[in-house]
Amino acid sequence: MSLDNILNHWSDYRKGSEEGGHHDYEHRWAMAINLDLCIGCNACSTACYAENNLAVVGKERFEKGQAMHWMRIERYWDQQELEHPEQGASFLPMMCQQCGAATCEPVCPVAATYHTPDGLNAQVYNRCIGSRYCSNNCPFRVRYFNFYSYYESAWPEPMEQQLNPDISVRDKGVMEKCTFCVQRIRTVKDKAFMEDRPVQDGEVVPACAQACPTSAIVFGDTMDEGSMVSKLWKKHQVERGVYQKTRHAKKNADLRGYRIFEDLNVDPSVMYLERVREDI
Amino acid sequence: MSGKMNRRNFLKVMGWSSAGVALTGCDMPTTITLEEGKEDVVSYVMPEEYVIPGVGVWYASTCTQCAAGCGIHGRVREGRVLKLEGNPDTAVNNGKLCMMGQAGVQGHYNPDRITAPMVRNGGSLTPISWHKALAMLEEKLGATSGDRFAWFTGTISGHQSVLLANHLDAMGSTNHYVHEVVNNAVSRAVNQDMLGEANPRLRLDKAKMIVSFGADFMGASQSPVQYAGQYAKFRTNKARGLLVQIEPKMSLTGGSADLWLAIKPGTEAVLALGMANLLLNKIKVSDAGIPADVRTLINSYDITKVAQTTGVAGHRIQRVTQLLTERSPSLVLAGASVEGQAQGYAATAAIMMLNHILGNVGKTIESAGEFPFPQLMARQGGTADLVAFAEAAKAKKLEAVIFHGSNPVYTAPKSLGLTEAMSNIGFKVAISQFPDETTMAADLVLPVDSYLEDWGTQVPADQSEGTAIHVQQPLMEKLNAETKGLGDILLSLLKQRKKDEYGQFEDYYAYLRHAFAAMPTSVKGDAKNDEAFWNAALQTGVIKVNGNAKDLQSTVVSFAAPVVDDSTGLTLVPSPRLGLFDGRHANLPWLQEAPDQISKVVWDSWVEMHPATAAKMGIGNLDLVKVSSAQGSVTLRVVLLKGMHADAVAIPLGQGHEAYGRYAKGLGVNPLQILDATTDSKTGELAMYSTRVTVKRVGPADSLSLVRMGTGAGDSQVGRKLVGTVPVEQVRRTEGT
Repeated sequence: MSLDNILNHWSDYRKGSEEGGHHDYEHRWAMAINLDLCIGCNACSTACYAENNLAVVGKERFEKGQAMHWMRIERYWDQQELEHPEQGASFLPMMCQQCGAATCEPVCPVAATYHTPDGLNAQVYNRCIGSRYCSNNCPFRVRYFNFYSYYESAWPEPMEQQLNPDISVRDKGVMEKCTFCVQRIRTVKDKAFMEDRPVQDGEVVPACAQACPTSAIVFGDTMDEGSMVSKLWKKHQVERGVYQKTRHAKKNADLRGYRIFEDLNVDPSVMYLERVREDI
Repeated sequence: MSGKMNRRNFLKVMGWSSAGVALTGCDMPTTITLEEGKEDVVSYVMPEEYVIPGVGVWYASTCTQCAAGCGIHGRVREGRVLKLEGNPDTAVNNGKLCMMGQAGVQGHYNPDRITAPMVRNGGSLTPISWHKALAMLEEKLGATSGDRFAWFTGTISGHQSVLLANHLDAMGSTNHYVHEVVNNAVSRAVNQDMLGEANPRLRLDKAKMIVSFGADFMGASQSPVQYAGQYAKFRTNKARGLLVQIEPKMSLTGGSADLWLAIKPGTEAVLALGMANLLLNKIKVSDAGIPADVRTLINSYDITKVAQTTGVAGHRIQRVTQLLTERSPSLVLAGASVEGQAQGYAATAAIMMLNHILGNVGKTIESAGEFPFPQLMARQGGTADLVAFAEAAKAKKLEAVIFHGSNPVYTAPKSLGLTEAMSNIGFKVAISQFPDETTMAADLVLPVDSYLEDWGTQVPADQSEGTAIHVQQPLMEKLNAETKGLGDILLSLLKQRKKDEYGQFEDYYAYLRHAFAAMPTSVKGDAKNDEAFWNAALQTGVIKVNGNAKDLQSTVVSFAAPVVDDSTGLTLVPSPRLGLFDGRHANLPWLQEAPDQISKVVWDSWVEMHPATAAKMGIGNLDLVKVSSAQGSVTLRVVLLKGMHADAVAIPLGQGHEAYGRYAKGLGVNPLQILDATTDSKTGELAMYSTRVTVKRVGPADSLSLVRMGTGAGDSQVGRKLVGTVPVEQVRRTEGT
């Protein structure tokens, strides 16, 4: 995907996205995260380290912004004018939003990041040349670059025995990010194919959603209308597509569902439900 | 059968002896043929016909990362355990697992594990064979008179606990010190006195409102996953539950509160009595069952005085109290910052009394019933045993001590003088996985299997639904040939004392098989035979037993009037974290690199202060300060947080290890070291939250030396809708909650 290609086809690309994208989607994996249930405990994040071979980088590299936490919990303080945060903290689980009109995709000079028929922003490690354009272009800051061969220090013997053989260990010069646990999706899809049946709702559970002690994360296929995640999106009147579409879709503005940076028109696959507080 | 064992003794050996109820109608043989049970331990990960290379298989076991005893499923592929998840068949964690449980694999595969027995030779520890190590144990323990021998452990339950108790018995000793830094020992004492049960079932999910005085039930608590699960139900119930958290330092649970109130450290009891006064005298709730002296005490706490003492605004106290009567049933909880006061028992009793007044007992606090097998029940610890142990060591009353699952050299405040007193103990044995501080001070080190390599049973102390024994099985072959299971070591020790009773068991696996075979039929249910029962237990990881629940009644006990220290000054809050916990997980890199939930610091220690307090002392964010108590000082960086009372400073637990492997050693400071040795007069528990400190600036801010995740723009959302917040009224309209 050369620069010419991008410039010549930019409007087509955007238009395609507005009209449901280029693909004949097989699935469109999505999440609904209830921030009223998120307690900020880090269970999801640690489960992600365990599942996805995320390297521990150490204090110095963490300070330089090289932490590889695909799933991180951001913590904000609202009510900053008060003497104490009387309504507690605001926790936000943040990972790749698997945008339908992803800003990371068109800027990759080698098409290492591309859109899959599952609606995921895939990252082809073997193709990645480390330009880091995608990371620069990501409004959510959820792409993580291997500045070093972290594996040299992250898994001293025998810790390497814990590595998940279903996915690779990334080397220096490669961009990585949340995949919605694509290896789990793959396993379930293969199984369903072998059994000649469609994938059932609830069959694919990413490591974060599986671990969450309060079940704040719901994962599923928005193309399956009966799925829990579809029902939640519908209930909160959040629809696929870019801003112009979703703005009209949301008839009841008081419903809790929203997508972060909706006005950037990137069509994220993660719907958050607003945190609730009772003022007493 | 080698020895002659009668039925009663057999039950005791196997851990099934009971008050008799459970065994009624049980068809127990008086002797057991042991020939049938003979078999080798075959790991479930040996290539079996049904194992397909490249396909992960999940096996049930039990987590031992904290004392909660959550059920787990471990994913095993090609003979290696790769990933742990919660076991959905357990009521305790219902398929979920916290960050500490997730990181269990890093303990198992830790590069700093001890791989061979070691003996102190001159100054240093040198390798020794198991044969010699056990011979040495036999010789030394044989020469120790009963009352000079002790076990020192963390919380222990199930059949390991049975063997340990039976070993103590065989030694003629009663000294079992059980120590946990993160404990609810004071609450257990209060519950025992007020409810007749130490561990009643807390039902957060049935409460319409929770008022928590420093109880970090979703964070560093007795069962974080269980209570987080209940919290989710509490929040999604029709009529969404309301959480009010009152504490000097914002805990993980405090972060999710609808109303978080900072309270002056040590004045929680005053607030509870003030609320009781409002309930009884203003709202006119019945005072039935409250002793006259307590009633008089309550009357003396008027709202103005209470507001002044506690620093909580009067209108807040009135509103919260009013809501407690409107949102019934509610639940009032007391946590570590209350229990850990110099009058911890009285303060906890004052708070628990609110549940009695509000009629919550029997509704949100239920009976756990009587566990049918008392021998298997968790021996829960606190800090009283640590104090008692230090005293005994100082008085040279102990000759030989075996340590397991606890690290007192690290956790004991310097003021207890334990480190020096350790040299008074002639023979210190550490059954240990890692070279922690206590292990490094031992004379004999026995390397133990990780919990993912070992057999066992666990009985969680906190079980809010049902009653179950959790089964622990090896998920893979041992990583190191020279480690032994805890049960196997205990069995070796017992064989040295009571060959006739224990000589028949080849190993702990054989012992467990027999224990399971001897399980009363009331528990075995309709399993076809022992083999089927055993297999089913391994498959589900859970054995359900009848908890014999009963009605719970509360009796308010008399308690001392709170004494408030009016002197100005700062109180140290040594706050435990979900993650490093009491320091036991400092050697797990995932947990070191996971940002603290509230401050977002990684790989370090820090002290939390309110910005107003710091400003008065000329201290800025990330400045280097010296925090000093009468017992010593620590130097570390400041993180300014508004989730602090102005009179409190908090230093999180977990760091400051002088040993414990590459990931833990030399990072940060250990605030436990500078705590006073004050104890609660009623329970003897350390008053961990009552040490006064001074803070002095010793160096400027240096952003490079304290690493935090994403803390730009004052942690504000700067107008972006990242985390949206809506008032509950709006949600009532749209979602009907």
